Amino acid sequence: MTAAIGVDARVTGAARYSVDVERPGMLHAAFVRSPYAHARVRSVDVSAVPGGCVALAPADVADLGRYGCQARDQRVLADVARYAGDVVAAVAAPTRAEARAAAGLVAVEYEELPAVFDAVAALAPDAVLLHPEAAASAEEEVSIGVRPVPGTNVCHRFRLVSGDVAAGLAEADVVVEETFRTPSAAHVPMEPHAALAEWDDGRLTVWAGTQTPFNTRADLAGLFGLDPERVRVVAPPMGGSFGAKTFVRTEAVVAALARRAGRPVKVVLDRAEEFVTLNRHPATIRVRVGARSDGTLVAKEVDCWVDTGAYADCGPGVATKLGYAGVGPYRIPHVRVEARAIYTNLPPNGAYRGYGAMQSVWASERTMDVLAGRLGMSPLDLRRRNLLRDGDRFATGEVMHDVRFDECLQAAADAVGYEADPRGKGLCVLLKGMQTPSRAAIAVERTPVGYVVRSASCEMGQGVRRSIQLMAAGLLGCEPGQVELPDPDTDVSPFDTRTTSSRSTHMMGRALAEAVADLRSNGGERGFGEVRDGGGLDPDTGQGIASTHWHQGAAGARVSVDEETGRVTVEHLHGVAYAGRVVDRAGAELQNEGSLTMGLGTALFEAIDFSDGMVGNSNLSDYNVPALGDLPGRFTHELIEREGAEVHGLGETVLPPVPAAIGNALHSLGLHLRDLPMTPERVLAAVDARDGRAGGNGRGGRDGRDGRDSGAGRA
Amino acid sequence: MTLGAVEWLAPSTLREAIAVRAERGEEATVVAGGTFVGILINQGLLSPSALLSLGDVAELRGIEVAGGELRLGAGVTHRTVERDPSVRAGWPMLARAFAVVASPRVRNQATVGGVLADADYASDPPAALQALGARAVLRSPDGERAVPVEELILGWYETCIRPDELLVEVRVPPSPARAVYRKFRSRSSEDRPCVAVAAARDEGRLRVVVGAVAGRPQEFADVCAIAGGREIDAALAAEIARGYADRLEPIADARGSADYRRRVAAVEVRRALEELAA
Repeated sequence: MTAAIGVDARVTGAARYSVDVERPGMLHAAFVRSPYAHARVRSVDVSAVPGGCVALAPADVADLGRYGCQARDQRVLADVARYAGDVVAAVAAPTRAEARAAAGLVAVEYEELPAVFDAVAALAPDAVLLHPEAAASAEEEVSIGVRPVPGTNVCHRFRLVSGDVAAGLAEADVVVEETFRTPSAAHVPMEPHAALAEWDDGRLTVWAGTQTPFNTRADLAGLFGLDPERVRVVAPPMGGSFGAKTFVRTEAVVAALARRAGRPVKVVLDRAEEFVTLNRHPATIRVRVGARSDGTLVAKEVDCWVDTGAYADCGPGVATKLGYAGVGPYRIPHVRVEARAIYTNLPPNGAYRGYGAMQSVWASERTMDVLAGRLGMSPLDLRRRNLLRDGDRFATGEVMHDVRFDECLQAAADAVGYEADPRGKGLCVLLKGMQTPSRAAIAVERTPVGYVVRSASCEMGQGVRRSIQLMAAGLLGCEPGQVELPDPDTDVSPFDTRTTSSRSTHMMGRALAEAVADLRSNGGERGFGEVRDGGGLDPDTGQGIASTHWHQGAAGARVSVDEETGRVTVEHLHGVAYAGRVVDRAGAELQNEGSLTMGLGTALFEAIDFSDGMVGNSNLSDYNVPALGDLPGRFTHELIEREGAEVHGLGETVLPPVPAAIGNALHSLGLHLRDLPMTPERVLAAVDARDGRAGGNGRGGRDGRDGRDSGAGRA
Repeated sequence: MTLGAVEWLAPSTLREAIAVRAERGEEATVVAGGTFVGILINQGLLSPSALLSLGDVAELRGIEVAGGELRLGAGVTHRTVERDPSVRAGWPMLARAFAVVASPRVRNQATVGGVLADADYASDPPAALQALGARAVLRSPDGERAVPVEELILGWYETCIRPDELLVEVRVPPSPARAVYRKFRSRSSEDRPCVAVAAARDEGRLRVVVGAVAGRPQEFADVCAIAGGREIDAALAAEIARGYADRLEPIADARGSADYRRRVAAVEVRRALEELAA
C-alpha cells in the first residue's frame, strides 16, 4: 500500500521535484553576487556576455518596485548590495555551464560602504543604516503589524506587556539574569532552491519549490504590477526545505530574466549559494526572572536582539514568535518582552524549523535551571510549580485549553530517569505557537476511480500529502490510494495561508472535514471546505491571540563529558510531542526523529562561520549537519495522544527543546553554557570556569567570549 | 570552445595517463574520486579548463602484498582499504584511519592517491601513512621515484609532485608491532579531525604524527627519542605529550582554535601512547 503513495518513487529516483521541472526552449540562469557585505553598485557592464545569452543589470529592472513578505525592502537586483552574496546582476543562457561562465564575464564596479555584522552593534547610534528609508510594510494577507523604528536598523519591534514587571521583580526573593546567544545556521535541504518562470501573453507562471505559493503569487503580482490572477505559482514536491523555501527567494529574478528573454528561465542554486539565500536568525537574548523563595515565578523580562540580516523577509514574524515563546509555558503575573528584528549585513534570515522558538527556549529554559540552582530546588519541581494548566491565562491574555505541558515534562523526566538521579540529565519544556491568524481551504471532487483533493499544502518530505490522503480516505470511506493530490497550483488549488508552522494537518484536516460534509450534502460529487482562524497579537502590547492552537512538547537528555577535551556524548535523548490525535503514525514518528536530529546539530555543532560577513563554510565538508553516527545511543521519543482530542501539529515541536535539555544536563554537572553550539571548546571553557582555572591554553573560544557573560546589549 | 566547457581527458591505461599528464601538466587538473576537486570547483575556487580523470585506469586500482610490503594503487578507494582483508590483517591501524574518514559515500569515492596528492591538512590518512613509514611512488615518462609522505607533503595543499608526474602507488612497509590511530572530532561523527594522532612503535623506534593541526602532518623525532628503548608508562606518555603540545603551532579553523587544539593534542598524544602501551 505504501508503494502507491510515493515512498518507492523517492527511493527509486522516479519522484520528480522542483529541480526537475523543464519547459520547452528554456534558458538557465546564473547570478552575479556581490563579494562585498555592503557596497553601492556603481556600474554593471554586461557587454562581454555573448549573444544567445540574456543579461540583466539593476537599471534593467528599475521599473519594478520592491518586494518582501513583511516589509517591501528588496529589489529584484540590488543597486546597493547589503550582504556578501546579494544578487546584483543575472544572466540566462542555453545551459547551466554557459550561464555560469557568462555570469563570470559581467563586470561590476562597487563602492564599498561600512558594514555591521551583529544585531546588538547595529543598534549603536553611529551604526550604518541598511535601509535609511523605512520600507513600506507589505500588506500581507496575514499581517502581523510590522513596527519599524525609523532612523534605526530595527525593522520590527514587538512588545509584550502583562502586569507590572518592575513591581514584580521588586517582590521577588531571587532574581537571576542571564544572556544567551545562538548563531546563524543553514537549513541544508538535499534539494537546493529551484524555480522556473515563463511568461505567456502577459501572464506569469512560476514553478518553484516553495512552501508559500499564495504569498509568492501576491509578492510577484505586486512587483510586476499584475492582478494576482495574472500570476500562477505551481509548487512541485521539494526535496526538503525546513523553512528555507518560503516567500520570494529566486522567483523574482528568474521572472525578470524570463520577461527579458521572452523564453522560460530556470534557476537551480548550488550548495554554496544556499548559504547566502536564507539562514536561521542569530539571536542574543537576555532573560531576567524573579521568583519567591518557594519557587513561584513572579516576573520575567525577555529582551531579544534578532538578527534578520540584510532584508526583513519574515524576520518581524520570527521576532514576534521568538519573543512570546521566551515567556515559556508558565504562569507569570508580570511579564515584559521586547523583541527586535534588526538589519545587519549578513545574508537574510528567515523561517527555520521552530521559527524563533529554539532561540528563546534555549535562553528561557536554561535560565530556569540557573534559577532552580539559586533557589536550591529541583529544576523539575520549579517547572512543575509554575506550568500553565487548563484555564490559565498566558501572558498574551489568552486562556489556555487542552494544556498538556505537565504531561510532556513528566514523560521527558521519566524517560531519562530524572527523579531517581538528576546528575548528567537535563529537561526542557516548551510552548510554541502556530501561524495565527490563518486560513485554509480545500476542494474534493469525485472521479471515476476515487477522489481528487485540491489543496495548496506543499509537500517537502514532511508527509502532508500522506496525511491528507489518510484523512480523506477515512472521511470518504475509500483507500488512500484512491485519493489523488495534484501539486499545489494557485490557479486551481483553493487558498491556503502557507505550509509553515506545523499547521497543515491541523488546519487542512478541519477544512477537509467541512469539504467532505459539503460533498455529502450536495450530491456526492463536489465539496468545498474552509476554516478561518482569527486572532493575532497587538505588536505594541503583545495582547491578543498568539496562537489558536499550541504546540506543546518537552525533551530530556542524559549526557557524559570528556572533561579533558570538552567532548559531550549524548547518551540518551528523548522527545515528547503532544499530538492529540495521530493521523499518520509513521509520519509523525519521523517528524519527531527529524526534529530531534536537527536539534542535536543545533545543540552541538551547527553554525555558519562568518568573517566580515563572508560565509567561511559554505560546503558540507566545512558545515556539518548531523549524521546517523551522531544519534545518541538511546534515541527515543513519544507522541502523547488523547481520545477525542483534535489533531495537533508536530512537525517542529521537539527541535527547540533539544539544545536546552542538553545544556541543562551539562548544567547539572556544574557546566554553564550560554552560547550555542555547545562545542567541545566551549564545554572545556565551562569546565575551566567551574574548576576555577583562570588561564589554560584552551580557555576562551575562538571568538574570545566563551564561558562568560559579555552582557551584550546591556546599555 | 563552448562558453564554460571543460575538457574531460579520460585515459584508460596508465601509460596513456602518464603521457597526457606529461603533455598537459598543470593545465589539466588531475581528478580521481572527485571529493576534493569537486568541492573546489563547486565553490568557485578552481575553474579548470581541462580535467585529467584517472577513474578509467584499472591499473591504479590494485592492492597487493609483496615482500611484506603493502602496495596500494593510487586509485584504490578509502572504502576498499578499510575493508580489504590483507590490509585489515597486516596493517589494522591503516584500515582504521581510512575507515574513520567522512561517510561511506565519500569513502566509496575518495582514493589513496587523491588524499595524498591533495595534501589537505584536515585529512586522516596522511598522518597514519607517515607514522607507518609509507612512500608515494611518483611516475613520469622519465621514470619513477618513491618519496616518503613527510617529504611528499610540503605544506598547505602543496606537494613535491612535479607537473609531469602522477602519484601512481603508495607503498607501506611491514606494519610495526604496535600502531594506533586516534581521531578527535569536535563536530559531527562524519567531520574531518580537529586533532588526529598516529603513533607507531617498532623495535624501540617510536613515531608520533599529529594530523589536522598544521599545514602538514607534525612529527618531532627528538621528542619521540625521549622514549629511547623504554617501556611507555603514564609518566613517559605525559612527557612526550607535553613535548608535542609545546612544539606544535596549531592553526585555528571552524573545528577549534589554536589554543584548544594544542590542549587537545596534549591529551590525545598521551592517550595514543597509553593505548600503544596497553
